[in-house]
Amino acid sequence: ATALTSGQVAAQRIRVAGTVTSAGGAPLGGAQVRALGSDTAALTNAQGRYAITAPGNGTLQITFIGFRPVEVPINGRTTVDVSLERLAVLEQVLVTGYTQQRRAEITGAVATVNTQAVERQTTASVVQRLAGNVSGVQVEASGSPGSRSTVRIRGVSSFQNNDPLYIVDGTPVQDSYVNWLNADDVESVQVLKDASSASIYGARASNGVVIIETKKGRAGQGVSRATLRVRTGLATPVRGYDDILIQSPLDYFQVVKQSYLNAGYKLADIQSAVYGRNLYGDPNSPSVPQYIYCGSNTTCSNVDVSKYGYPNNLIVPGSAGTNWWKQVFGTGKVGDYNLDVAGGGVGNTYNLSFNYFDQIGTARFNRYQRGSIRVNTSFNRAKFFTGENIALSGDRGTGGLPNDPGGYAEDGILGKNVLMQPVIPVRDIQGNFASGKAQGLGNQSNPLKLAYEHRDDVGKNGRIFGSAFAGFDVTPKLNLRSTLGLNVGQGSFAGYSPPLPENSEPTFNNGINENNSSFQNFTWSNTARYSANRGPHTLGLLIGQEVIRGSSRFMTGSLGSLISTDIASRYIQDALGDASTKSVSSSGSRNALVSYFGKADYNLLDRYLVSFTVRRDGSSNLGRANRWGTFPAAGLGWRLSQEPFFPKDNAIFSDVRLRAGWGVTGNQQIPSGRIVSTFGGDRGDVYYDINGSNNSIVAGFRQTQLGNANLKWEENRSTNVGADLSLFRNNVDLVVDVWQRKTNNLLFDPRLPGTAGLAAPPIQNVGRMQNTGFDLSVGHRGASWSATLNGSHYKNKILAIGGSGDFFYGPIATRFGNQVINKIGQPIGAFYGYVADGFFKDAADVTASPKQDGAAPGRIKFRDTNGDGQITLADRTIIGSPHPDFTGGLDLTFRRGAFELGGTIFGTFGNKIFDVQKEFYVFRDFSTNVRKDLLANSWTPVDATVPRAQYTTNNPNPKYPILDINDTYSRAVSSYYVESGSYVRMTNLQLAWDVPQRYARWLASARVYVQAENLFTITGYNGLDPALPAANVTGAAGDIRDQYRGVDRGSYPSSRTLSVGIITSF
Amino acid sequence: TPQGALNESTLANLTGVEGSLIAAYRALDCTDSNFAFGGCSASNWGLGSVPSDDAYKGSEAQDFPDMTDIENYHWGSSGVEGILNNKWQQVYEGVVRANSTLRLLKEVQTSNPAAVSADAAKGIQGEAIFLRAHYHFEAWRVWGNIGYYREDDHDFQKPNLTSDQVAAELLKDLDQAISLLLSTPRNGQVGRVTSWTAKAYKGRVQAYAGQWAEALKTLQDVKNNGPYALEPSYDRVWTGFKEFENGKETILAYQASANDGDPNGNNANTGERLNFPHSGSHFGCCGFHQPSQNLVNFFQVDANGLPLSLSSPSTWNARNDNLDAKASANVALDPRLDWTVGRDGVPYKDWGPHDPTWIRAPGFSGPYSPKKMQHEKASGAESNVGWVPTQLNSDNIHLYRYADLLLMLAEAEVESGSLENARAIVNQIRTRAGAKAQGPGTDRASIAVPLNDPSITWAKYKVGLYTQPWTDKNAARDAVRTERRLELAMEGQRFFDLRRWKIAEQVLNAYVAVEKNRRSYIAAAEPFTSRHLLYPIPQVQIELSKAGSTSNLKQNPGW
Repeated sequence: ATALTSGQVAAQRIRVAGTVTSAGGAPLGGAQVRALGSDTAALTNAQGRYAITAPGNGTLQITFIGFRPVEVPINGRTTVDVSLERLAVLEQVLVTGYTQQRRAEITGAVATVNTQAVERQTTASVVQRLAGNVSGVQVEASGSPGSRSTVRIRGVSSFQNNDPLYIVDGTPVQDSYVNWLNADDVESVQVLKDASSASIYGARASNGVVIIETKKGRAGQGVSRATLRVRTGLATPVRGYDDILIQSPLDYFQVVKQSYLNAGYKLADIQSAVYGRNLYGDPNSPSVPQYIYCGSNTTCSNVDVSKYGYPNNLIVPGSAGTNWWKQVFGTGKVGDYNLDVAGGGVGNTYNLSFNYFDQIGTARFNRYQRGSIRVNTSFNRAKFFTGENIALSGDRGTGGLPNDPGGYAEDGILGKNVLMQPVIPVRDIQGNFASGKAQGLGNQSNPLKLAYEHRDDVGKNGRIFGSAFAGFDVTPKLNLRSTLGLNVGQGSFAGYSPPLPENSEPTFNNGINENNSSFQNFTWSNTARYSANRGPHTLGLLIGQEVIRGSSRFMTGSLGSLISTDIASRYIQDALGDASTKSVSSSGSRNALVSYFGKADYNLLDRYLVSFTVRRDGSSNLGRANRWGTFPAAGLGWRLSQEPFFPKDNAIFSDVRLRAGWGVTGNQQIPSGRIVSTFGGDRGDVYYDINGSNNSIVAGFRQTQLGNANLKWEENRSTNVGADLSLFRNNVDLVVDVWQRKTNNLLFDPRLPGTAGLAAPPIQNVGRMQNTGFDLSVGHRGASWSATLNGSHYKNKILAIGGSGDFFYGPIATRFGNQVINKIGQPIGAFYGYVADGFFKDAADVTASPKQDGAAPGRIKFRDTNGDGQITLADRTIIGSPHPDFTGGLDLTFRRGAFELGGTIFGTFGNKIFDVQKEFYVFRDFSTNVRKDLLANSWTPVDATVPRAQYTTNNPNPKYPILDINDTYSRAVSSYYVESGSYVRMTNLQLAWDVPQRYARWLASARVYVQAENLFTITGYNGLDPALPAANVTGAAGDIRDQYRGVDRGSYPSSRTLSVGIITSF
Repeated sequence: TPQGALNESTLANLTGVEGSLIAAYRALDCTDSNFAFGGCSASNWGLGSVPSDDAYKGSEAQDFPDMTDIENYHWGSSGVEGILNNKWQQVYEGVVRANSTLRLLKEVQTSNPAAVSADAAKGIQGEAIFLRAHYHFEAWRVWGNIGYYREDDHDFQKPNLTSDQVAAELLKDLDQAISLLLSTPRNGQVGRVTSWTAKAYKGRVQAYAGQWAEALKTLQDVKNNGPYALEPSYDRVWTGFKEFENGKETILAYQASANDGDPNGNNANTGERLNFPHSGSHFGCCGFHQPSQNLVNFFQVDANGLPLSLSSPSTWNARNDNLDAKASANVALDPRLDWTVGRDGVPYKDWGPHDPTWIRAPGFSGPYSPKKMQHEKASGAESNVGWVPTQLNSDNIHLYRYADLLLMLAEAEVESGSLENARAIVNQIRTRAGAKAQGPGTDRASIAVPLNDPSITWAKYKVGLYTQPWTDKNAARDAVRTERRLELAMEGQRFFDLRRWKIAEQVLNAYVAVEKNRRSYIAAAEPFTSRHLLYPIPQVQIELSKAGSTSNLKQNPGW
């Protein structure tokens, strides 16, 4: 017989296995199971299963984020199944300013991003995936791989840069790409939306703060665990211009013909007027021309193809219909490969990850690649702890389609180049790229050639981002911590511009340009934290100090007429090109920020909460006298459900808390050096050939910028009232916030009268702006299904702009005038122009209407808004706002056995789009291609042979004005360009299957999935894609993209991406 | 401290002052900081030529239709506002640069009196004051009622002066410049203005102001005592050949330069770059500013070689056909036509014969190309950098040339009754016009040849002189004005001339009545009325002049 003592039995280590599920029975993968009092721990697999060796009389502690931890005595059992109870939302622990807090202790507006929905997307940048997944946050981005995201939290509070502040593992960064951060490294994302939560970050927090924590190992985990994530997919544009534009040259000719006939031209004269010859043959039965251009043979008769010579004697055939869109856009590909190894022993944790991301854009020759390594470790020894979180990343983007071309948007492939006439072939008779080098075929560039010739244009970025930290627990109540954050990067770009001899405005010279940039930002923050409770009182104190220094340097150069354009010859060296064209310049910036801050949280009975924050910042960007700003905040919370009078076991209200917060945040997001006036200028601006030499210039200077020595902080005062409710026994969470933000001393450069010259006007603190709105989030997370609805509304209003006048125009005009205005009483970036009131019906209508230049039947009639009897520039008015009334996301997940189906639907409602592309595809500026239905749906005269002024029609309300080549009037900037930008889009949908263990015993867990992004869109918008990226717009005072939203200039459309993936742990 | 910029103290020395002055000269044509088409050009092709009977907007209907609004007198459109605002910014930037030179000079003279010699200081001051006057003159002839800004002005929202008050300010500045400047360019740098430039300019202002007695005195002084003379032949007036540039005919020119290290060629003829022939030509450009049929017809001469428009006022403008080489083989023409207008089959300087493929949309804007500001192939004036370098050259852009001065003097002589003096001047101009004609242009030497050169098959060139004494003041006035149009055609002066002669309404409405049958889009022109005598002040500038709720700048009448 075995004579073991009970003690021996107790001490015997046995193998315990089991399943961890939620209260509803759904398996919980990733829960930690730990034998109390030992180093042994294990994680559950995707089926919720675990196995651990533990003392038979020991206790297992099971923890999982979002659930209440439990401790279960083993009592000698070898199977221990555990069901975890979901935590009320208020029990969640969140990372906020410099610390962690239970949600119940937070009095500000803090939203938690649904990271599951984030994982169902494939874009390079994690911030791009936030759209629709968190209330109060708007994200705009283009379909171009690796492109910038524009994230806005609770509207727009400044004329300047409104990008939020990102805090990644405690290190602040202002960067709207965040491409260096591997999305799979992200553990959690919190958004601090109001001043009472964000003001601890004082400076730069006025646009909200996004706190990103990366994955860490867990102490005591024991064995390391590796997770491999592989995903690959195919992408196509959600929509193409070939759905919108004419594809047949003969159909296009009908449009041209009709626009001349309606203008009174004789049929026989039209082709010579437009093309200089009968390009399409008999105008009554036109045919596709054999050739559109034959060098000096102007009539293209008896073409001798042996006369062809590149680049001076091109011969270009006619095309039966070139689908220019398909030439440039097709199927893209995405691949994302991650390996993550995490673990931790006694007093240490580690997490090491590797990522390779490779996305081939839907535009030809466009690709983005990234590799990154992350090392997060921490060490804990007695009262001392230290560690670091560091990411190294390198990325490269190639290809010729600019994310955003700027200006009139015509340099980009999409702006107007892809609107080439269908009669133009892709290549000429010798296979060289062709374009409209003939009369009347427009002066666009072959978009495929642009893409092809820019295929080796490459932008590269290298980045080291992270922090090292150390801390000391002086007493259990007092903790000191110091963190040194660094953000060091360099970037480079090398580009090539080809000669374009095939264009109607040809160029024969090539050129290259390249630039290099580098920046270093250091953040050193030191905090002391004190926490204590005595009886019903809990007190938390934090004081800290922070120093931030940044500098950057940029160098750019160019060289023309390269002797060899081979990629190996693309350097800026005298011998390689025309040395006289060589140009080089450099620029840089420096800035510093010093801050002191403190925070106190007091909690009575877990029922009454009071918090105070104050931060004092000094910025080098501001005037010496006004450099320092103080940013206070306060919050109150009342957890009603803890009151004795609150009925216990309430079937409806499980937990109720009310919050109110007020605070001030600051903004100094302007370029450094604006406190002084500067002189300078460049060779094309201030140098002059005073000697009459014809080829040499003498240096000059002009005032380039007016400074303002009194610049001070822009202040954002925000008030927030919110409620957190857990309903139906914690089954439904509801968070509602109502808020107001008022910005004072708005930093902005009001335009000066032209008589003051062209120097950049001084930035002043003159404007005021207001945003009001609400955010709400309703969620249910059950065993078989979960749903979260996020919704937000904001209303933006300019209260004052200072300077002269009560408005200023947006930064980019259309070809036909300004279409964006910033005006007191209106939202930032409102659309501005005439009100289009249909079309002139007939001569009587013209006579009866207010006097309008060029008024004629069939042309657009504008409204006499000031009632003076004539249409003048003074009749222009507000014709729409790019700001939505409501944006929302609905996230749904269903689980059944090993299957999970999850998806997000995003919707935006009430915003308008100004479709500048109508200049081209409706008004045919630069003889571009036009919309398919233009001929059929334009205003048509009953009889075009009567004098022009006497035209009448049977259909007075068609979609388009009359086709009339003499109509330079209808195209004036008006509400005719404005359309509803509302849409609903299924942004992602994923079906996942957790592979049962019996199929893959060697793996801890495995999940395979298929997913789709942007599966469908419901919209009334007639343009390419209502999900417009924000345009990159820079003014003298920095990034001013918010003055130019919702304008469609032909952007790289979103992609519909189908992908498959696998996640396995071992 | 801002990075990569200079501050005022680093420039408070001679280098800074001189550099600031250089920048003031640079603003004579479109600068980088105000880069745009149409409004900023030194030549005023958009504001002085397109709205006149000289030229069409050109190009095609679908490119830059704002210019069509200028041509059709729809000056209230937002497109026109953009062009006018561009002009406004360009001229006042020039004023600001001139004034900051003066301020900086004063500062240096106070802080470091030894830094600038008294002579240099006088020269700098004179040049800056002259340039300030020039820029204000430009604003004056476009808008009439403008604000005048000097170096001590800090309020940039001054109300408009009346047109007469502006003239007085201009003359005050020019008199001061005359007293400060030397008679030869400082440092021998030909781009600099002299006391003679300022005197000539003073005469121009007096003529514009209708102060004929004063103008007569000033201009006669320049003619009799100044350094100017006509170029020996007309082809040497607008040219890319360096040796012909800055000759005696140049009073004030924008000194264009190409291949000077600017990567975009922006110091070349930036304001003119849209006005080159289209893709069939070497230039492959945009085809703006095309000569009108009316202008081409105007170069016909009668049997005496005198303008047909004077001897046959009812028939000279009858031709509607393309006056190409074939059609004009036996037509008697003033040879200046083929230095001014590119015609099919006629050699285009030394670029070979002009061809129909050089025109972008002949049915829209006719068959002719501009020619004056286009360089000769052999001149090597073409740029090798920039967006379409073939449309960039180092041809200087005349802002004021001696022939212009002489013809204004002739006007003054007519108005003061000295008709014979006027006849002598007109004959002097015509004699030079008859010196050389466009030749076959196969090489440098054959660009310009004698009028009777046998290789000329495309015209019968003839320039006759007025041999009969002038006795009738009205006829003399007509002859002088006719000569002025022929001599200065397409140089951006015609509209302003018609206006100051107070015949713009009559001439332009008559022009539209005929021309709308030639170019159908002109049928949409608004009748030219008294409000068109001045351009509207850009609405945005009126807004920006608001102090409180009232704008200090008042809009011109009728706008």
